[in-house]
Amino acid sequence: MVFSAQHQALGPQLAGAGTCRPRRPAASSSSVISASLHESGLSSQQTLSRKPLHWIRKKTLALSSVSAVAAAAGGGFLFHLASGTPPPGNPGGGGGWGWGSGGGGDGGGFWSHIFSPLSAIAEEDQTAAGGGQEWDSHGLPANIVVQLNKLSGFKKYKISEIFFFDRRKCTTVSGTEDSFFEMVSLRQGGVYTKAQLLKELETLASCGMFEKVDLEGKTKPDGSLSLTVSFTESTWQSADSFRCINVGLLPQSKQVEMDSDMTDREKLQYFRSQEKDYKRRIERSRPCLLPIPVQREVLQMLRAQGKLSARLLQRIRDKVQKWYQDEGYACAQVVNFGNLNTREIVCEVVEGDITNLDIKFQDKLGNICEGNTQLGVIRRELPKQLRQGHVFNIEAGKQALRNINSLALFSNIEVNPRPDEKNEGGIIVEIKLKELEQRSSDVSTEWSIVPGHNGRPTLASIQPGGTVTFEHRNIKGLNRSIHGSVASSNILNPQDDLAFKLEYVHPYLDGLYNPKNRTFRASCFNSRKLSPVFTGGSVVEEVPPMWVDRVGFKANVTESFTQQSKLTYGLVLEEITTRDETNTICTHGTRPLPSGALSMDGPPTTLSGTGIDRMAFVQANITRDNTKFVNGAIVGERNVFQLDQGLGIGSKFPFFNRHQLSVTRFFQLSAVKEGAGKPPPPVLVVHGRYGGCVGDLPGYDAFTLGGPYSVRGYNMGELGACRNILELATELRFPVLNTHMYAFAEHGTDLGSSKDVKGNPTEFFRKVGHGSSYGVGVKLGLVRMEYAVDHNASTGAMFFRFGERF
Amino acid sequence: MASPAAREWLGIQSLPGATQTKLHELLSKLKQENVSTVTILVMGKGGVGKSSTVNSILGERVASVSAFQSEGLRPMMFSRTRAGFTLNIVDTPGLVEGGYVNEQALDIIKRFLLNKTIDVLLYVDRLDSYRVDNLDRLVIKSITDSFGKEIWKRGLLVLTHAQVSPPDGLDYADFYARRSEALLKFIRLGARIKKQEFQDSAVPVVLAENSGRCKTNDSGEKVLPDGTAWIPNLVKEITDVILNGSSPITVDQKLIDGPNPNDQGKFFIPLILAFQYFFVAKWIKRAIKNDIKNESKPLWELRDMGLANREF
Repeated sequence: MVFSAQHQALGPQLAGAGTCRPRRPAASSSSVISASLHESGLSSQQTLSRKPLHWIRKKTLALSSVSAVAAAAGGGFLFHLASGTPPPGNPGGGGGWGWGSGGGGDGGGFWSHIFSPLSAIAEEDQTAAGGGQEWDSHGLPANIVVQLNKLSGFKKYKISEIFFFDRRKCTTVSGTEDSFFEMVSLRQGGVYTKAQLLKELETLASCGMFEKVDLEGKTKPDGSLSLTVSFTESTWQSADSFRCINVGLLPQSKQVEMDSDMTDREKLQYFRSQEKDYKRRIERSRPCLLPIPVQREVLQMLRAQGKLSARLLQRIRDKVQKWYQDEGYACAQVVNFGNLNTREIVCEVVEGDITNLDIKFQDKLGNICEGNTQLGVIRRELPKQLRQGHVFNIEAGKQALRNINSLALFSNIEVNPRPDEKNEGGIIVEIKLKELEQRSSDVSTEWSIVPGHNGRPTLASIQPGGTVTFEHRNIKGLNRSIHGSVASSNILNPQDDLAFKLEYVHPYLDGLYNPKNRTFRASCFNSRKLSPVFTGGSVVEEVPPMWVDRVGFKANVTESFTQQSKLTYGLVLEEITTRDETNTICTHGTRPLPSGALSMDGPPTTLSGTGIDRMAFVQANITRDNTKFVNGAIVGERNVFQLDQGLGIGSKFPFFNRHQLSVTRFFQLSAVKEGAGKPPPPVLVVHGRYGGCVGDLPGYDAFTLGGPYSVRGYNMGELGACRNILELATELRFPVLNTHMYAFAEHGTDLGSSKDVKGNPTEFFRKVGHGSSYGVGVKLGLVRMEYAVDHNASTGAMFFRFGERF
Repeated sequence: MASPAAREWLGIQSLPGATQTKLHELLSKLKQENVSTVTILVMGKGGVGKSSTVNSILGERVASVSAFQSEGLRPMMFSRTRAGFTLNIVDTPGLVEGGYVNEQALDIIKRFLLNKTIDVLLYVDRLDSYRVDNLDRLVIKSITDSFGKEIWKRGLLVLTHAQVSPPDGLDYADFYARRSEALLKFIRLGARIKKQEFQDSAVPVVLAENSGRCKTNDSGEKVLPDGTAWIPNLVKEITDVILNGSSPITVDQKLIDGPNPNDQGKFFIPLILAFQYFFVAKWIKRAIKNDIKNESKPLWELRDMGLANREF
């Protein structure tokens, strides 16, 4: 007593949809993962602002959510739904369709089916009807019961109420409260024609949930109709075991047309063969992902309720489907319940097996075009769960999206699972990419008004400034890029402050298909920074600023171990010039004397003593970072070791080993449930940093103590400039409303090494050489607002800082 | 700066006869030990009586002294010869300015002393100030940093204004003992000399009273409240220090510059580098590998890898 798996797919046809819809609602659901990237045309660098990921659920998905259980009655077999006409003389389901009572409930393979009873057309009709359009009064006396076929075919009826009447229980429930409500496409307040109502009835009857179903209207005084769906639920004998199988990609069993004039013997044979087919089908199916605890829960549901009713199947389906949806298997769908009327019911699930991965490029107009990017570049960013043979999971899709987005090559990325037409139950993961323009350049200009000699701006003091940038990205489709920028705040006199940078990036150094991820970078750069070494301690009056200009060339190789952990090593050649505020090269630090004069004999700024140092050294950095976000709070550990090894090449043959090790741990203090909107856990941060230098140490490279990233509550370099440094900090973060507050205590010391810096800048600028601070703060978006007490002076002050301390 | 030609020590004649006799005795004692030149460096905070002490020793008014202002902005050297013996006294400006050690003054002093040999350091402070504070330590520390620890083996603590009436409840000897003890402790701390070492070669303490109202004894010598004539006593202590076996301090460029910290430990850089590579970098790399191994994968990934065993 079997029937074929075919028919659920035909449901829509029965419903009169007639359109070419995918066979399974599950497969027809399609989620589009897309991220749009703006290309900011004005900005010089590639400022790619990422829109929040959003998920577009197509209408088809919404439809699939109202799919229903079609159940076969104990009668025995089901007819091919394509017939479209209820088989005559069906004893099992009076008003229904689709099933016969061949074997008389001998416990053979009885099937029920799930499909979407709602057609797209019905949906469209309804939306069309929803728009407050006109309707006709029924033109009948109020409060009389009208059979559906008594209604006029020319009128548009407004359905003001829908009730469900369970004939077995003899209860009437208002429409929206009944679990069968989802089966009905009619909505309260909608306007329908008689044909539509009839079609609806047909759909309901064909869905298999009901042994018998009928629609009747009741006229209302205001001219609208109150509709009552009276039904008898289908039931089967109770089952005590539950099995879930993955039927995705299984070929549909061949449907042998059952002839209406088969003999009983032939029929029996037919059913037997169907049964055997089904057994083979179960054997061939793959185990599904549904975990045993969930299966156990389903089993409990089965046991709790003696008889297996359509509603129970519906609940089981919802439960199973909910688990899949919650776990991100967006394409998973319960397609069928089989083996009904036996001890073990079989839940057939199409989980969404990926049959193909399709990467497409789009031009600006959205047409498919040839891409410049080599596919390997994209493929290596994709998690292997998106490859053929894996079950599609939306999280894998999201990860692919994030990874591809981090390439910064595309303005629009869509990861889109779509049903595979050629392969029943298969999913093709389609990745659509819009490439960014390969070459871009940009010029921006600005006027700046600097105060003239009287402090008043004059015409001559208006300076034109500007930035020129250019970028050539994705060279050869291998994500290599050249990026350059030149900026000056005074174009008329650019030698004053010409900032430039030219960088070449060469990823996949070990080949596109090598899992080793090394990137080569080479850059020419210059930078200008205020030195925190040559600044005053807390008691010294204004110390004239000292600028450290660096011009040089850098080449390094970065090897990424994980997203965050990496190793970088390379060579730096640079020329360092120290200048005072008038832009002249200076050789020694200066400090105002109490008399007002400047003491010019401070510590030497450079190694060479001339104010200009040239040197070559090897730079290496290894970062271990396993931090992750728990509801927005960072938890984990971060260790960074940085090394500058002088090679003895340069002015005065600098040979040195300058090293820093920082260890930061973020302890989660209480376990929290993860999820959006849940509060972050309190976190204890412990941080230690050691820095030291052996060998030649020019003044500008001395380690400095104090500042928002060293010891808070002090100015940059206020505590000292030294050869060895030790910083210890701890911070306790606890969530408050939507942000967090924190309390911290920090200490920094020069370990007595200030005297080992030539000229002893710590002493010259009268810095203490060590200091502690403590305070409290609150995070307001990107800004940290904190009150820090400087322990040396025991005074507190309010600070606003950007970014994180750790 | 070329030192001016040494003049005949005429001032000695203005000293009382008894003092002259004692000084001659001491000088001849030095001569017996083949010491014919003695350079005395006088240092201390401002306004403690450095210049006055110099004047008192020489018996001349060589350094201008004013009651309210310290005049000396640069070091001065006074050289006197007497019977083939040369005495150089270097008077220095006060080392404190604005509550801090005046590094600049110290620097000038160092430059001034370049290529000279210091036989004795007179560290001058007042007896009649009651407190020692961190500043004293800083002054002593900077002197030590400039000339090295060894200078204190040739050091003498001179306490001026010795004719003081001690505060209530203390007798003079007690007060003197406490004051000198406190200062010596700070010298020890500031110079970072080990306690044991310091006890072995203690810095002698000498009292001085430069005031004109200083009591005199019968022979006209200036005497301290305990009755000793202080100038001969001071010179005697100086002689003792010179003859105590320690070597005089020669100020050369190296001493002025101090040890070059940039050269320290350069030799060990290859070793340090090896340590960093084999221990620090490897350790972090191992930790990263561990992280990758222990990374908690999302459930969907585990299920995909077939590690879930259908348990979740």
